[in-house]
Amino acid sequence: MSRIFKMASLAVFCRFPAKSHSLAPAFVRFAGYWNKDWKPGPYPKTQKEREAAANKYGLRVEDYEPYADDGDGYGDYPKLPLVSEEARDQYEDYDMPSSKRNFGEPLNVDFDMVGEERMNYNYKPMVPYWMQFSILFGIVGIAFYSQFAYADRPFFLPVMPKSYPYKYENGQIIKETHYTFETAD
Amino acid sequence: MGVGYVYSHYRSPEDQRPNFFKPPTFDSQYGFVQGRKEREMVATQQEMEDANLPMRQRDYCAHHLIALMKCYHDRLPWLPPCEHLKHHYDDCQHDDWLIRMREFEREKRLLQRAKRKKEKESLEKDIGE
Repeated sequence: MSRIFKMASLAVFCRFPAKSHSLAPAFVRFAGYWNKDWKPGPYPKTQKEREAAANKYGLRVEDYEPYADDGDGYGDYPKLPLVSEEARDQYEDYDMPSSKRNFGEPLNVDFDMVGEERMNYNYKPMVPYWMQFSILFGIVGIAFYSQFAYADRPFFLPVMPKSYPYKYENGQIIKETHYTFETAD
Repeated sequence: MGVGYVYSHYRSPEDQRPNFFKPPTFDSQYGFVQGRKEREMVATQQEMEDANLPMRQRDYCAHHLIALMKCYHDRLPWLPPCEHLKHHYDDCQHDDWLIRMREFEREKRLLQRAKRKKEKESLEKDIGE
């Protein structure tokens, strides 16, 4: 068990199916430990081979579907839906609750990528992405447009410019007179 | 302060809006029978120069600012004893702001009055003819 967890924690995050000729399938790369007994068998050609492979992986024959044998395939490893561990039911009674998995359950080829603290392809935000972007660009667009359309009518505070006692101009210091709103004595 | 004044400013005719980028256009003593009191400058040029005040701070409140900065310089890092000097400076700035507001309002009303006078003159001229 601990070996599996160590393997999962060191695995890479993206798919790297090695290109090879069709008879030798590509292997799933883990940056930890690999055993030759874990290598999938060759791509099944006959119906009997398909049944045997489905049996091996614990699937029904009608559910079993291997990856296409075009040099990027995985031999007879089945094609399973990529469900993130985060998206799985958290209240179900699993055999291994920490990884949300039952004994003998077949794993997707990239199961290490969709662990609990890793990627989640089944994530659906409460506010859909198109609405998020339309609201963002709508508000930002209005602000952007307003800068140019209303540049001749800026916001202001209703005050006249500040009056200074001295004016500095051409190297000269000129005294200016300003008045308050009180009556002269 | 609301935004209503901005809206009414831009809704009013163009010749009745004060230009808040330039000083007032009307004569300062116009309409004041007893005259207006002059603003007095307390800090001298030499004092302001010695205190290294930037140009924007060489206004009618500079003497308060110089005293305040001297207090800060003497009393760092415990600054509460300088609070009363800061209060004097802030009061002076507030009064300056109020004067600016009143200048704006005066400018606006004088512009409206000028418009009314012009209309009345043209009306009387038409009637006279």
